[in-house]
Amino acid sequence: MLGLERAKDDWYPVAIAGSMGECESHTTRLLGFEITLHGGKNGAISVNFGETDLAVQVKFDHVWTTFCDNPRPLFDIPEGDEPGRVRVPCGVVRVKCSPLRAVENFLDIAHFPFVHTDILGAEPHTEVAPYDVKIDESKNEVIATKVKFFQPQAAKSAGDGIVTDYVYRVAAPMVSILYKTCPPKPEAQDVITLFVQPLDEETCDVWPWMALYDYENSMADMISFQQMIFVQDRSILENQIPRKLPLDPRMEIPTRADMTSIAYRRWLKRSGALYGALTEAV
Amino acid sequence: MTTEPVGLSVNLPSQRVMQARVGDADIAVWRGVSGKLSAWLNRCPHRGMRLSHGFVRGESLACLYHGWHYGSDGVCNYIPAHPDLEPPGTIQTTVFSIIDQDGVLWVSVDGAAGGQDLPGDSKPVRSITFSCSAKAAKDALIGSSVADGSGGELSIHDIAEGSNRLEFKSANGLNSVVVLLQQPSDQSMIAHILAAGDWSVDGMIGISRWSETVRRQAERTKNVPNSDCQDEL
Repeated sequence: MLGLERAKDDWYPVAIAGSMGECESHTTRLLGFEITLHGGKNGAISVNFGETDLAVQVKFDHVWTTFCDNPRPLFDIPEGDEPGRVRVPCGVVRVKCSPLRAVENFLDIAHFPFVHTDILGAEPHTEVAPYDVKIDESKNEVIATKVKFFQPQAAKSAGDGIVTDYVYRVAAPMVSILYKTCPPKPEAQDVITLFVQPLDEETCDVWPWMALYDYENSMADMISFQQMIFVQDRSILENQIPRKLPLDPRMEIPTRADMTSIAYRRWLKRSGALYGALTEAV
Repeated sequence: MTTEPVGLSVNLPSQRVMQARVGDADIAVWRGVSGKLSAWLNRCPHRGMRLSHGFVRGESLACLYHGWHYGSDGVCNYIPAHPDLEPPGTIQTTVFSIIDQDGVLWVSVDGAAGGQDLPGDSKPVRSITFSCSAKAAKDALIGSSVADGSGGELSIHDIAEGSNRLEFKSANGLNSVVVLLQQPSDQSMIAHILAAGDWSVDGMIGISRWSETVRRQAERTKNVPNSDCQDEL
């Protein structure tokens, strides 16, 4: 299968750290293979694939695993460790779409007025101003900067509408990180991520995670805000045809506002990160 | 592929969008403010979103995802992310032929749509979806007679071989019920039902109840395990 071998070299989230009791176990899927998670002492979680113990690490409040003995290193989010931030694992949402479609949607701002109406966007404020996109060759990441958008309620902590500044990073084919204006602390930026567990090429579990400056809202309120947003996205993601992400430019017509998506698709293609992608026009 | 009935005109008022399936084609059917009908491949050329989830603005259908507007000619005429841009004429949906004939919407995915003639005074009753094979649905319909709710019964009158149209007639031949069948998948069948002749409201309700009864029978048939397979269960 195209891209499977490359996909096996990456780390993927499979659980929230500490979420399983001792002796508890359950099965899930990763890249089409069934794997089993076991709860151990002190909240530890181990992962088996058949008879094999898979490598495991805990980072960003999630348990990550890989099929590879010598995997690509897991990316870093230095801002996430800053003191004073509230770190919020938001749970998991199952979506019937390619893991790559889920990431691409997360990189998109033009849909805010239509999909997250009166929250992350509202008509008539639909214009997407030019912004910068590049591949950071040293880190092999896609970076979009100087992204600006008017938002009626940018975060749970936001009062009135504001123009929000965004920076986007694609740190791995199935990981997207955004930095956005933090309403209560203008000198800092909130961090919101989408960690995607590919169950197979057309189904994924999405684990959003946030590292925010927000001392007003309860954990439950912050999680429910993020889940509301993501469930709105799911109604789109499960209705895109085809379910895989097309990389042939003849399949889907982009515009200037889609520069991040264009860069992401090109970067996937050139990296051979084709798991969940459609390489030929149909 | 011939022309298929995809719905009753009365169920698609202006400014509304619905999804339909003709053969393998997933289709968005919608009406502009003026009532003008369109049937398109159900896929926005931008990011593949189903257009049947979109919304109508004037004589354009807008995609729910990014609000791209397409006129009734299928050509993109507005991209909200770039309000001052005139979209290139090459951005367009795949347009199919649709007509509204005697209260039924007919779509063809290859060439001009041509509907079937219906009795002149046909009134729409309802569309109803059977979750079973086309054969099970058709057998149940053919094996039944329509109780019209006023003590009368209409029996099956005309079944042309392979036809997706069933007609039931009253004993005196004055009242009839026409059922147009549409098969959106292997495991579903939609019946578009019309009544012709002299019908009271109760009579029309009777036809609707009859269709629900037949559906229950057809779906039950589907769920009975095939006796040949018992050993393997």
